[in-house]
Amino acid sequence: MSHSICDTILKTNKHNNFPINDHMDLLIEILQRLDGRSLSTAACVCKKWWSIVKNDSLWEHLCFRQLSMPPSVGIRSVVMALGGYRRLYLVCVRPVVSRLKRRRRVSYGESSEVEMWLSLFSVECYERLLGGGGGGGGVVAGESTAKSLRFLCEGVNV
Amino acid sequence: MKRGRDRKKEPKPKDLHHSVPDSGGMDELLEALGYKVKSTDMADVAHKLEQLEMVMGEDGGVLQLSDTVHYNPSDLSSWYQSMLSELNNTTASDLSDSTHFANNSSSTMMIDFSNNTQIDPYDLRAIAGGAIYGVADDSGLENGVKRMKGSGSESVVDVQPPESPRPVVLVDSQEAGIRLVHTLMACAEAVQQNDMKLADALVKHIGILVASQTGAMAKVATYFAGALAQRIYKVYPKDGRETSCWEILQMHFYETAPYLKFAHFTANQAILEAFAGAKRVHVIDFSLNQGMQWPALMQALALREGGPPAFRLTGIGPPQPDNTDALQQVGWKLAQLADTIGVEFEFRGFVANSLADIDAEILSVDTREPGEVVAVNSIFELHRLLGRPGGVEKVLESIKGMKPKIVTVVEQEANHNGVVFLDRFNEALHYYSTMFDSLESSELSQPNSQDLVMSEVYLGRQICNVVACEGTDRVERHETLTQWRNRLNSAGFAPVHLGSNAFKQASMLLALFAGGDGYRVEENDGCLMLGWHTRPLIATSAWQPES
Repeated sequence: MSHSICDTILKTNKHNNFPINDHMDLLIEILQRLDGRSLSTAACVCKKWWSIVKNDSLWEHLCFRQLSMPPSVGIRSVVMALGGYRRLYLVCVRPVVSRLKRRRRVSYGESSEVEMWLSLFSVECYERLLGGGGGGGGVVAGESTAKSLRFLCEGVNV
Repeated sequence: MKRGRDRKKEPKPKDLHHSVPDSGGMDELLEALGYKVKSTDMADVAHKLEQLEMVMGEDGGVLQLSDTVHYNPSDLSSWYQSMLSELNNTTASDLSDSTHFANNSSSTMMIDFSNNTQIDPYDLRAIAGGAIYGVADDSGLENGVKRMKGSGSESVVDVQPPESPRPVVLVDSQEAGIRLVHTLMACAEAVQQNDMKLADALVKHIGILVASQTGAMAKVATYFAGALAQRIYKVYPKDGRETSCWEILQMHFYETAPYLKFAHFTANQAILEAFAGAKRVHVIDFSLNQGMQWPALMQALALREGGPPAFRLTGIGPPQPDNTDALQQVGWKLAQLADTIGVEFEFRGFVANSLADIDAEILSVDTREPGEVVAVNSIFELHRLLGRPGGVEKVLESIKGMKPKIVTVVEQEANHNGVVFLDRFNEALHYYSTMFDSLESSELSQPNSQDLVMSEVYLGRQICNVVACEGTDRVERHETLTQWRNRLNSAGFAPVHLGSNAFKQASMLLALFAGGDGYRVEENDGCLMLGWHTRPLIATSAWQPES
């Protein structure tokens, strides 16, 4: 009897210390439900989490999860070529979605919105090409350093 | 879209018609602000001010003024004199305990004359001061201006009951703005009538009036006054495009305002629809510049159903002053982009001083593969041809020779090509005022105002060309959509309606511009117009040759 009680206690203890890192699929399920900011924060937790968040598929999920229809085939290769989903999200999707939310009187339709993201993204990628990489490949503070998208940046209160 | 402005309502400024406003010996700059100081008295007034400052600069000095009301501050000389005599009469009082503030402002602006040996009477800030306005104005102070806080004593404030309001000189900047516009128009009229002496005097007066304005109004007036001066003194500027700065300026304009983006997005939508189903496509771009229009089109082609077509781009540009091959560099970058997204790409660049030098043979359009669909794109280029008789007709013929499926044209929505100079001037004044207004609103959201300045310089060059140049030098010969419709119809082109997709993309784009509440997209019989409030500013239209 005591043996089984011990067993139960040990099992319960194990449940309390639920090592999430042993359950990658669960972790990914949780991360998929986070918003962009939380996702970036999650990347800072530990090396393992960083390597997961670095994976573009999480960001791809983030970009498209609000949409009712799945993105068309072929978008992925183009987005990866232009700089990846994480960059797409930080540079185009997030600012566009938040701006439109503030302004929205009319819905433009999902496919139009996706077209807009991609158009702006391609312009941004091209401008980085033009700049000869001087603007830096990185995304600074979540916003593009390419000037053509500067109109999407929030004003700074000096 | 109805034009909100109605020029005919504005009365002609009769007083400025035939003479420069006579200041009667008064200093002009101060008079623009509402003060009457004789030019001969200026040194005297400054001296009095200096004396006042010395007294008030002492601890609690301002408190030596009792509650006497000094009237008529617009007559600076006697106003200061009355204050000085009052101060000379009061003995230095005990300032320790009960204090009272002469005015409730927390700061007064005074001049520190110890640093300046030479007083510049045209430095307006040196004369108009907080003592007159009664409220601290924090606009940028130079080194020579010292801010003095009211006595920082913390003892009990013996508040005097409010008196009858002291006369304060206020600058009615609205009225000054109207005067400015009238003076600009009067100057243009003088130029129209070839009365250069009057025009010269008026231009100088404009310079003074501008000082009372801020913001978009001041900038527009400055550019127009500068252009008028160039016309009067016959110092004609070179065509803006010949300088290498032009492309940089246009890039800044691209970034600051939605006009070019609108043009690109709407034209691309029309081209994309025309290219549906084609396996090989060819775009002939009359206005390649940095090629900013094409990445978005290439991306859309890459993602279309059935995969991307083979994409050929022919870019036309002006010769570069430093003889670099700018076109090839742009082509190279576009090729890199095309390569990464998997679009087969080919580029050819053509350097031409004028579009009229190009025709279908030179572009070797005929060597195209069978089934290649051609699009011709012209953004703010066609109007440059109107200076030479027959120029635009020739180009339209050569476009037909290219057998395009679609021709996209974006032009400024204004008539800056009228025969009468005065009409052109007035039109341009309204047009560019609206443009500058729209730029100013977008500035609110963007922290970097260097872009704004560069965009304004870009527009300023256009203003200069419209106002100061003539003949073949004047290339900014904008015409309205109606005029272009007539031209294209007579040349044998039929309109192609821009679809709802283009409208949606355009509306979304404008919604993204902060301060974008003022921008409006309007559909006009198949064409799209972007405007600021009620005034349309640019128009996109699409055409195909009549079969």
